[in-house]
Amino acid sequence: MKRALWIFILIGALAVTSVSAAPQRGGTLRVGLNADPPNMDPHQSTAAVDRQVFQNLYDKLVDINQNLEIVPMLATSWQITDGGRTYTFKLRQGVVFHDGTPFNADAVKFNFERMLDKSFGSPRFNEVSLVTSVTAVDPYTVRITLEKPYSPFLAVLSDRAGMMVSPAAAQKAGKGLAREPVGTGPYKFVEKRPQERIVLERFDQHWDKNGGFVDRIIYRPFTDENARLANLRAGELDVIDQVAPADIPKLRTDPVLRLLERSGLEWQGMWIMVAGPPFNNKLLRQALNATIDRRTLVNVVFGETAVPANGPFPPALFTYDVPANSRIPERNVDLARQRLRDAGMPNGFSFTLKITPGRVAQQVAQVIQSMAADAGIKVNIEIVEFGAILSQGDAHKFEAILLGWSGRPDPDGNIYGDFITDGGLNFSAYSNPRVDTLLDAARILTTRDQRRRAYGDVMNILNDELPYLFLYWPKQYKVLGPKLQGFVHISDGMMRFRNTWLTP
Amino acid sequence: MSWYLVRRLLLTLPVLFFVSLIVFSLINLIPGDPARVMLGEEASKEALSALRKEMGLDRPMHVRYLLWLSHVARGDFGRSVRDGRAVLDTLLLKLPVTIELAITSLLVAWIIAIPAGVVAAWKQRTALDYAATTAALAGISIPNFWLGIMMIYLLAVNLRLLPPSGYIEPWIDPVRNLKLMVMPSIVLGTALAALVMRLLRSSMLEVLGTDYIRTARAKGLGDAVVLVRHAMKNAMIPVVTVMGLQLSGLLGGAVITETIFAVPGLGRLTVESILTRDYPMVQGVVLFAALAVVLTNLAVDVMYAVLDPRIRLGARTG
Amino acid sequence: MSRFAADLPVDVVRLRHRAAGMRRYGFGYLLHRYARNRLALVGLWVVLGIVAVALFASWVAPASPIKPDFGNLLRSPSAAHPMGTDDLGRDVLSRVIFGARTALLAGVLSVGIAVLAGLPLGLLSGYYGGRLDDLLMRLTDAMLSFPFLVLALALAAVLGAGLDKALLAIGIVFTPRFIRLARAQVLGEREQNYVEAARAMGVGDGRIIWRHILPNSVSPIVVQASLDMAGAITAEATLSFLGLGTQPPTPSWGSMLNIAQAYLGTAPWMAVWPGLAIFITVLALNLLGDGLREALDPRLR
Repeated sequence: MKRALWIFILIGALAVTSVSAAPQRGGTLRVGLNADPPNMDPHQSTAAVDRQVFQNLYDKLVDINQNLEIVPMLATSWQITDGGRTYTFKLRQGVVFHDGTPFNADAVKFNFERMLDKSFGSPRFNEVSLVTSVTAVDPYTVRITLEKPYSPFLAVLSDRAGMMVSPAAAQKAGKGLAREPVGTGPYKFVEKRPQERIVLERFDQHWDKNGGFVDRIIYRPFTDENARLANLRAGELDVIDQVAPADIPKLRTDPVLRLLERSGLEWQGMWIMVAGPPFNNKLLRQALNATIDRRTLVNVVFGETAVPANGPFPPALFTYDVPANSRIPERNVDLARQRLRDAGMPNGFSFTLKITPGRVAQQVAQVIQSMAADAGIKVNIEIVEFGAILSQGDAHKFEAILLGWSGRPDPDGNIYGDFITDGGLNFSAYSNPRVDTLLDAARILTTRDQRRRAYGDVMNILNDELPYLFLYWPKQYKVLGPKLQGFVHISDGMMRFRNTWLTP
Repeated sequence: MSWYLVRRLLLTLPVLFFVSLIVFSLINLIPGDPARVMLGEEASKEALSALRKEMGLDRPMHVRYLLWLSHVARGDFGRSVRDGRAVLDTLLLKLPVTIELAITSLLVAWIIAIPAGVVAAWKQRTALDYAATTAALAGISIPNFWLGIMMIYLLAVNLRLLPPSGYIEPWIDPVRNLKLMVMPSIVLGTALAALVMRLLRSSMLEVLGTDYIRTARAKGLGDAVVLVRHAMKNAMIPVVTVMGLQLSGLLGGAVITETIFAVPGLGRLTVESILTRDYPMVQGVVLFAALAVVLTNLAVDVMYAVLDPRIRLGARTG
Repeated sequence: MSRFAADLPVDVVRLRHRAAGMRRYGFGYLLHRYARNRLALVGLWVVLGIVAVALFASWVAPASPIKPDFGNLLRSPSAAHPMGTDDLGRDVLSRVIFGARTALLAGVLSVGIAVLAGLPLGLLSGYYGGRLDDLLMRLTDAMLSFPFLVLALALAAVLGAGLDKALLAIGIVFTPRFIRLARAQVLGEREQNYVEAARAMGVGDGRIIWRHILPNSVSPIVVQASLDMAGAITAEATLSFLGLGTQPPTPSWGSMLNIAQAYLGTAPWMAVWPGLAIFITVLALNLLGDGLREALDPRLR
C-alpha cells in the first residue's frame, strides 16, 4: 500500500515536470529576494541584489550561458582586433527601449560615456575605465577601443556595465533613472515600493518574440530565510533566491518544491591589513591561517551549502584547478605555535576582527575565534555596519575584516582589484610588484592555459604571503514552486525570466 | 480659554525646536560616511568627494542645521541615501500600513483592556481583579519580539494556521490582509492593552469612590447602567488623555513588530534605515514619530480645554 | 519601554507622603507592608535568585557559554544539555545563565546612568527654577516626545555597536524621567517650612538640597528605578536582538534570540529559553517595583 502510494507520487511528480514541454503565456511570476533592491539604474547600482531585477529589465550587450561562455544578446556578433585593443560589435536590429527610443550604436556610445563621466560618478567607472573611445561606425556597428588589451572585457559587458539604458530617459531623469528605469529588456518597470515589492510588466515590443511568456513579475524582499521559504510553501511565491543550510536536506526530497544547486562565483574570507601591526608580520598571518580548519568551519556554519576555499576561484571558474587555489590546507596548530615562536610571540597575540551585521558573519567569526584560541591567538569580534566597514577597509583602518566578494564570470573580476597595488578593493594594503606584473599579464593573455598559469603563480605568492584568508565558496541555490517552468540556473545566481513560463 | 490655548501653543514651539535639534544632531554624529554608503564599494575617490560636497557634508554644523530646518519646514525631508527617493514620499507611502496596524492593534488593546479594567475595578480585590492585574503585568513584561517569534513558531510554523509574515494591501486581497495582520496586531495590541487596562482600573476605582456614583447606586440604578453610563464615561477620560503616550507606545512597538512580521510600515523603515545608515531617512522617521506625538498631545490638551472649563484656569502645562 | 511599564510615571505626589511614612513607621514597618503583598514577595525572591545566578554564573553553569563544540550542534534538550545546544554546539542553559549577567548589568548600569544624570539636573532645575528650569523642561518634553525605542535605536546607532554604547543609549533615553521626578520632588519640598527655616538660618543651597531635599526624594526614585530596570533589560535585549547591542560571543538573551530566529523550524529551544528568561526577569522586577510603590504609598494601603 505504502509503496503503491510512493509510486503514485513519483509518477505524479514526473507528470508535473514533463508538462513543461510547451511554454504557456500569461500569469504573474512572484519572486522572493533576500534583500530589497535599492537602485534600478545599472550605472548607479552598488547592491548585488539589484542585478536580479536588472536581468529582466535590461538587456546586456552580451550574456553568459550555463557554462559561463559569452553568448550574443544586444550584440549579435563581435570581432576583437588590434591585439585585443579593439572590439567591434554588430548590434541587433529592431530593438527599442521601453520608452520607444530606438537602440543603436549611438545609444551604446551614450551608455559608455555615461559610465565614464566622472561628474556622474558611476560605480561602473573602474570596470570600463580602459575604454578610450566609442565610435558609431554605422547605426548598427559600434567600435570600442581600449587603452590596452583586456581579455575580461566581454565578461564585464555581460553584467551591469553592459546593460543599456535609454539615452532619452537617462538624459531627462539623470540620477532619477534609479527610480524610473528604462531599458530594452523583456519586462518594463511598473512600480517599486521600498521594502515591499517591485513590479515589472511584459514589454510587448521586445526583440525576442519567443520570450516574455509571463505577464507580470513581482519581486518581494524577505530578509528572513524562513519567511522566504514559508511563503514559497504557502504558494505565495513561485521562486526564491537562496535558502538556509538547515532546510537543504528536506528540500532535496520535497515532493512539490524543486531545489536547484550550482557552484557559485562568490568567495568569502578574511581581509588582513598587512601595512600595520600586528599583521605586518607575515609569520603571524601564517600562524592564524594554520589554526583554521576550513572543513569544520564549512560543516558547522554552512553544511552542504558551501565548500572550503583557498583562493578566489570557485569551482565554476576555469581557473579553479590552479593547485594553490583548490588545495585546501589542513589545520595545523603545531605549525601555528611554531610560527608564533618564530615571530617571538610564543604566547600568542590578539587582534580585532570586524564583521558585518548578520547571523552568518557572527557564526563564522565565532568559529574562527575558538579555533585561533587553541594556539593562543585572541580574536576580538566587533560588528560594524556595512557602509562603515567599507570605508574602514578603504582607509586600511582595521586589523582584520570578514568580507568577501560576490564574484564575476571571468577570473580577472575575482582577483585583480583585490590584490593589485592600490586596487579599488585592496583593503589589505597589499603590494607585491611580482603579483602586479602577473595580474596585468593575465589581462593580456588570451588562452585559458596561459591565464591559468599566470593566476597559478599569483596564488602561490598569495597563499604564502596571506593578505587574505580565503575560507569558503558559497553555492548558489534557487527553490522553485510547482508552477515555474523553463528556468535555467546559471552560476552567477541571476534569475533570467525571458524564457520561463508558468503552468496554470 | 484662548489665553490657555495661546500659552499651550507657545510652549509647543520650544519643544519642537529641541525635537529638531535632537534629530539633527543625532544623525549627524552617526559614524560612517553617507557618501560611501551611497556609492558603495566600487566608488572612485573623485565621485566620493563630489557627492560629499553635493550633500553639504563639508559645511559647518550650524549652517547645515539651518539649511536642513528650512528644508524640513518646506516639507523637504531630503532624499534617501539608499534609493534616492524623496524621504517624505517614502514616509507617506509607509504611513497607511502603520496606521492600519495601529488601528487593528488599538482595537485588540481596547477589546481586551476595557472589559478587563472595568471588571477589575468593579470586583476590586477579588480573584478576578488579581487575575486581570497579574495578566496585565505579564503583558507589560513579556518582550514584544519574543512574543512575536513564539507566535510565528506556534501558529505559522507548527500549526500552519496563519501566514508567518508579509503584507498585502487590503484593497488587493482583503482576506489575506487580515490574516497577515492578526499576529502583529495581537503582539502590538497586548502591550498596549496592559497599559490601558491598568490606567482604566485605577481611574475606575477613583470614579467609583466618588459621591456621584454612590448616589447613582443609591438611587437603585442597576450595576450595568451605573458602570457603563456613569462610571466608564468618566473613567475613560484618563485613557484618552494619554493618547499621546499610547501613540508613542504604538510607534515604538511597531518598530519591533513590523520588523519581525515583515510589515512594510514606518517601524520597519526605521530599523532598515538605521541598520543601513540611511541618514536622511532616519531623520525623517524619527522626526515624524516625535512630531506625531507632540501634535497628539497638543490636540488632546486643546480638546480638554474646550471640554473642561476648569483647565483654562489651572496650570496644566506641557 | 518596549512594553510600556517604564512609560508609566511614578505618582510623585503620592510618593512624597512616603517621606513621612518612612520616618513615622521605620524600615521594619515598610518591609512588613511590602511582605503582605505575596506577588511582590515572589518578585523579590525571583530577583534575588537571578542576581545570585548571575553572580555565581561560573559555578552554576554546567559548561562554557562561549566555547563552541563542533560535535554537538543543534542538539535537542537532553540530560547533558537540559536546554539543548545552539548553532555552534554551546550549551543553551549555560548561555542563559551567563546572559543573566548581561541583563542585570544592562539594568543596573543604564538606570544608574539615568539616575546619576537625571537626579542632579532635576534637583538643580527645581530648586533654582528660572531660565535653566524652562530650558531643561522643554528639553525633557522634547526627549519624551520620541517613542522610547525609536530614540534608543537611533542613539545606539550613533554611538556604534557594543554593549557599553547600548547601555549609554538606554541611559540617556531614561534620563528625562528622573529629571522630572527629582524636579517635582524639589518643588514639593522647597516651600516646606523646614526648608524655609533652614534658609532663614543661613544654611547654604547645596546643604539644603543635600541634607533635606535629596533624602526625601529617595523613595520615588527607587520605585522608578526598579521599574525602569525592567524596561532597561527589555531594551538591551531588543537592541541586541536587532544587532545593535551585545557583541558575540558574549551571551545576551536578545542576541541569542536574534540567532534563534533562523532556527525556529529546526531548533525551537534556542528561542524558547532566552525569551522566557527575559520574561521572568522583567516580570519579577515589575512585581518588585509595584510592590515597592504600594508599600511606600499610603493611599493604596
